[in-house]
Amino acid sequence: MRALIIDDSKTMRVILRRILTDLGFEVAEAGDGQQALTVMETGPLPELCLIDWNMPVMDGYTFVTRVRDVPEWRDVTLMMVTTESSHGNIVRALAAGAHEYVIKPFTPDAIQEKLELLGLVKDGAAA
Amino acid sequence: MSELVTPTAEDLQALVEQVWTSYVDPEPLLPAAPLADPGCWSAVTTVTGAWRGMVTVELPERAAHAVATRMLEVAEASREEMADAVGELVNMVGGNVKSLMPEPSQLSLPMVASGSITLPSGAQEACRADLAWQGMPITVRVHLLENDAEGAA
Ligand SMILES: [Mg+2]
Repeated sequence: MRALIIDDSKTMRVILRRILTDLGFEVAEAGDGQQALTVMETGPLPELCLIDWNMPVMDGYTFVTRVRDVPEWRDVTLMMVTTESSHGNIVRALAAGAHEYVIKPFTPDAIQEKLELLGLVKDGAAA
Repeated sequence: MSELVTPTAEDLQALVEQVWTSYVDPEPLLPAAPLADPGCWSAVTTVTGAWRGMVTVELPERAAHAVATRMLEVAEASREEMADAVGELVNMVGGNVKSLMPEPSQLSLPMVASGSITLPSGAQEACRADLAWQGMPITVRVHLLENDAEGAA
């Protein structure tokens, strides 16, 4: 299963990559929403995107709205992983089409639990 | 209108510890005596909107390097990696401070530099956490901004 990690912090991408790789995901990375759209358009389509909110060029919320505009991408699971924890913005991201929301700082278990809820991880490995 | 609401020092310390134990070191940070010159690396993020403030992290270069190697799980970290790791720390603390304050507001991208921070005139320290990690000082501060004060210099 393929995952795309979208975060402007390399440190955070490394931390998330470690968690997803341990779960058996094949991982690609992007440093902002625009780069991520390019990866989606040109590479093999990921089944899962982990999306930061605050990024230069294109933020994670805009990325979610752009992905949801493309019918062929409707099966891609979108999970916000962000320090943006205001109630209003969580509601806005979910309404725009994000499936799950994880607030930084998170534990590897919290990520795994959410992916299990989404049916992307079963018995500790990518389904 | 900006409201003069501030997080408490206890709130701030709890947030910093949560971030720290998640990514840097499971051993807790210890309270320390404040230093006149806490360090030579500084990171800042700014909140604007219904609440206006800045969150800063200051630490010695040696600590910035150790933070980056811990977070990235590498033996050596470049200056770019140090800036990225410390920037993500202030981003996480800043985002969680913002969530305790009146909404709606926006968090800026983090800025990191070696050197001390020049705060905008009118910035007023609201609370601080003076901590020590492996004998190195880590200072985290929250500053209130006046309505006409903009960004970090
Ligand atoms: Mg970010």
